[in-house]
Amino acid sequence: DIPHMDNTSLDQTVETVGQNEGPAAEDYPAQEDTSPADMLRIKQQMANQCFEMTVQLNAGKSKRPCSTSQAERELPDCVSELEHVKTVHFNSTLALHRIQMWNAIAEKMKQTDPDATDLKAVSARCMALCSQIKRLQMETRNLQDEITEIQKERLEIKRLTHEKMKETQELLSNKEQPDSEKYKALLEKGQVNVETYKKMIIMAQNVLRGILLACKVNWLDEPNLREIVMTLEDFPISD
Amino acid sequence: MSLLKPFSKLPDLNTANILLVENEEQFQQNLADTLAEETAVTVNVRLAKSLPLPMENDESRPRIDLVVFIINLTSDKSFESAKASLKYLDPGYFLGKVCFVATNARHASVRTGCLDALRQLAALLHCPLLFAEDQVSTSSARRLLTILKVASGLVPNTTALYLSSLTRCTMPPDIDQPSFD
Repeated sequence: DIPHMDNTSLDQTVETVGQNEGPAAEDYPAQEDTSPADMLRIKQQMANQCFEMTVQLNAGKSKRPCSTSQAERELPDCVSELEHVKTVHFNSTLALHRIQMWNAIAEKMKQTDPDATDLKAVSARCMALCSQIKRLQMETRNLQDEITEIQKERLEIKRLTHEKMKETQELLSNKEQPDSEKYKALLEKGQVNVETYKKMIIMAQNVLRGILLACKVNWLDEPNLREIVMTLEDFPISD
Repeated sequence: MSLLKPFSKLPDLNTANILLVENEEQFQQNLADTLAEETAVTVNVRLAKSLPLPMENDESRPRIDLVVFIINLTSDKSFESAKASLKYLDPGYFLGKVCFVATNARHASVRTGCLDALRQLAALLHCPLLFAEDQVSTSSARRLLTILKVASGLVPNTTALYLSSLTRCTMPPDIDQPSFD
């Protein structure tokens, strides 16, 4: 069977590579000028390859019978578990790098060579800038608080003004009414008087007209009398 | 059945071997030239029209670290040929040593559903899907080179399987049926 043969050939390959630590040096005579860094790199490459082949071998060993659909269902869980482990590993590596870096910086600062003095100067400047930033931030916060206070006061005054305006408006509208009421009463009284006087005048005019007609007075010749008679015609004859 | 096996030969020192499989045999030439310009490691680019590879070269052929299928989205034959070639790959390759490259994705004559079908295939096989224009730009070659370097073990602490969970293609969920788990 082809898979079975593959695994045995794989075993042999891993053994060969593992024993020789890579292909024999005689096969690559032109590599004398490789630096140690290059050799390390190449060694790491081979280690990677060996690791891959080991993984492939182990994958074949733990075979348990299960259907494709079951495998598909289990795959996301495995993948997420893998992702979780990867993230944890990555975060730990990051933290480790951070610690290493800070340790290196601290060690450097303890020394007295020119690099260290430069580093100290830079870190002193950083500290100065940071404290200045803090100070400015405090100032900003205080100013902001003051602004908020002033705005609150302004709002309060506005509210009071509004209330006072409303009050004055109410008072004004209230004052107009009693005046107009008095005014109305006076007006009615006045009108009643006017009516009375009108009636009196009409009666007097009627009386005069009666007298003039009865006495057969010649009013056309007398200018004063003619004026008075003319005005009599304005008024209607009331009974 | 002559399967191409990932671990049947010894790996080469400081070398990365990549196989470009393309039905049209156009894009792969430019890509090969761009890839070969890499100086830090020796990149061997092998070209093929389809799998299975001819038996005559089997002895001289080095171990292939990454198999790249170049699919032109404007032609159906390209996709079909790539799908047929997949059968001749050992399953061991699908753990991060296979990559799909789609060209001409923005072309007007792309049949609808072609890109989706390719995406589905890549998602099913847990392989990365890269996109490239007709003219090979350095960025698409660089992306491929990154995956190749990992697949040939040149990146410390990273193997192809490790990278595959980061680069694999996923199907976007259906817009009609939003799934909020």
